[in-house]
Amino acid sequence: MAITKKEIYHILRDPFTLILSLGLPVFLVFVFGFAIEFNVKNIHLAVFDADQSQSSRRLMDTFGSSGYFIVDQLSSIALTQKAILNDQARAALIIPDNFEADLFSTRNADVQLLLDGSDNSTIGPVLSYLGTIQSMAAKRIADFNPPQYIDLKTRFLFNPELNSRWFVIPGLTVVVMAILSVLLTALTVAREWENGSMELLLSTPIEPLEIIVGKLAPYAILGIIAVAFVYVISRTVFTVPFQGSLIIFGVGVMLFLVTYLSQGLLISVITRSQQVAMQIGILSGLMPAQLLSGFIFPIENMPAFFQYLTMLLPARWFMTITRYSYLRGATFLEMGIPFLALSILAALMIFLAVKKFKKDLEP
Amino acid sequence: MIRLSLLVGFLKKEFKQTLRNPKMRILIFVTPVIQLIVFGIALSTDVKNIRLWAKYSPNDYVMQHIYEHCIASQWFLPVIANQNNDPFELIQSGQAEVVLIPPPGGLTKALGRGTAPLQVLIDATNVIRAQSIESYMQTISKKVVADDLKIVPEQSPITFVIRVLYNPTLETSYFMVPGVMCILISIITVILTSASITREKEMGTFEMLISAPISAMDVILGKTVPFVILGMSNALLVFLVSVLVFNVPMRGSLFVLFFASFVYVCSTVAIGTFISTLAQNQQQATLGGFLFLFPAILLSGLLFPLENMPTLMQWVSYCDPLAHFMSLLRNIMLKGGETQFIVFHVGILCVMAIIFVFISFKRFHTTLQ
Repeated sequence: MAITKKEIYHILRDPFTLILSLGLPVFLVFVFGFAIEFNVKNIHLAVFDADQSQSSRRLMDTFGSSGYFIVDQLSSIALTQKAILNDQARAALIIPDNFEADLFSTRNADVQLLLDGSDNSTIGPVLSYLGTIQSMAAKRIADFNPPQYIDLKTRFLFNPELNSRWFVIPGLTVVVMAILSVLLTALTVAREWENGSMELLLSTPIEPLEIIVGKLAPYAILGIIAVAFVYVISRTVFTVPFQGSLIIFGVGVMLFLVTYLSQGLLISVITRSQQVAMQIGILSGLMPAQLLSGFIFPIENMPAFFQYLTMLLPARWFMTITRYSYLRGATFLEMGIPFLALSILAALMIFLAVKKFKKDLEP
Repeated sequence: MIRLSLLVGFLKKEFKQTLRNPKMRILIFVTPVIQLIVFGIALSTDVKNIRLWAKYSPNDYVMQHIYEHCIASQWFLPVIANQNNDPFELIQSGQAEVVLIPPPGGLTKALGRGTAPLQVLIDATNVIRAQSIESYMQTISKKVVADDLKIVPEQSPITFVIRVLYNPTLETSYFMVPGVMCILISIITVILTSASITREKEMGTFEMLISAPISAMDVILGKTVPFVILGMSNALLVFLVSVLVFNVPMRGSLFVLFFASFVYVCSTVAIGTFISTLAQNQQQATLGGFLFLFPAILLSGLLFPLENMPTLMQWVSYCDPLAHFMSLLRNIMLKGGETQFIVFHVGILCVMAIIFVFISFKRFHTTLQ
């Protein structure tokens, strides 16, 4: 208990770090929340219209009113290619001078579309949408209305309006906790090893286990406060729904916290140096949480080997629990596998951290 | 004035200090390579491995064909669950990502009566995947229905002839690897630099430096140049991995790439230095580094296209060195490097570097009084 008090005083005496640690989650949620947008729009389409006919204008209009494109009309083909080279446009539409003529005579007119392949995240969605634009154009300009034999009635579950924020912000809970727990613990405890005060502590009659719990408790509290901040902001400012049980989610939070705090402790024991601890903390805790947990890049997109690899990451399982709790209202049973996996990883990490800590105490 | 021998002295000391720990050596040189390889392979915007389940009775052959076509396309994976399952439950439990439900009586019969509705339930947690899944379903279902009903589709009067430039096969790695390169370099330059300088402040050796008969400029250069060199060596390493392991094309000039990387590394080291003037200990320096790095990664164009954002946020992204360097990498490596473009973006990076060096210098100066 006394150690926890001392640790809390330490933190409170350094208001800068406190503000940064609590402010960082808030800052991140706001920045990510307002900036992130996966729905493709505002793509500059450089157009060269050699035909200058009513049909060609209606074609350009079809692109412009699709909501995806901003049409920039240019005066030569070379200029459109230059625009793509220059990143000023991501696509170019080249309408030949016989467009309308071909359309009315042979009902077979071609237009050329150049796409900037260096930017997958824009071009992927655009490519899949081009079929629809082509049908719309054919219908509007040439009155081409083939019978639809099948009518796809799509229902988007859990996120009916395809809101990017609903996808990202719950995920931020994981990333924020990763930063705070691994980094702060690794740095703080490593600092004590570095300046020798840890040895001092260990020479006192306090149980090593008490030392560990005492040292980590304040950071657990910080982590929980950060999660609470993310939750409140996500619900109030961004109106992300929370369909699940707060209690079950809370259990998940605690499990993940314990795992990452233990990881931070383990790192600090192994490295005994702040610089190295920080680098390893980033490498083993933060980067996986950000890139391999399914936060932005879906795990399903990964090759099979990597999908299995991510099963070793606590962040991946906690990401599932968080998303399911927010968007799906999943029951405990439905999240059985993630909870089981997270518990196993938690137990493993605690075991390793305590064992290494105790082993190092041996004279 | 800047004395070369003094600078070399600083370099030697800084390298010795940072690289003395074998773990640091591995972390700075080996792990970026490993990370680049892992992330380059794992991270992808290609939507695939979609778990699909379809409800159909044995004589609904059109429905069966649609399902089989989906699986054969290799974008979809079959979900093994018997036909008594509740489709909604399958998605709720996470077993399936998309479920097809034909109209009552079967799709085949419904097609005989006219336009047939086909219900598609999609897990929309991930917005991009959901949209791609819908798009795939549209294409496949239309084709299968046309084939089965023996309909020869009428030729559309307007045809888009599509050509994808620079990356015709849409290899994700061509797009992802330069982006991850950029981030890995930034971690070294921003965080390592700021933590390093702050560590000297923490340990008190900074005071010793100040009391020595050298100018503030010497101190700053001495502490930043080593990290510029480290950053550049890192850049070289990850560049080699990109080209040799991932076959990312290099269509531009090596010299231009080198110069752009140099300016970028200088600008991020300058930012790291600036952060160190604000932080009193390493913890703050690291947190501060992340405070900069996270939004910088978000606004760099790696996670989603910058055009998607509201105009105001796009203006903010102009202040993000990562955004500029990522565009530069893509432009030089994939497009060959267009002069106007390069001059513009490298120019902005130069300005940033100068501004931050200047601010850091002023802050050092005031600390030194």
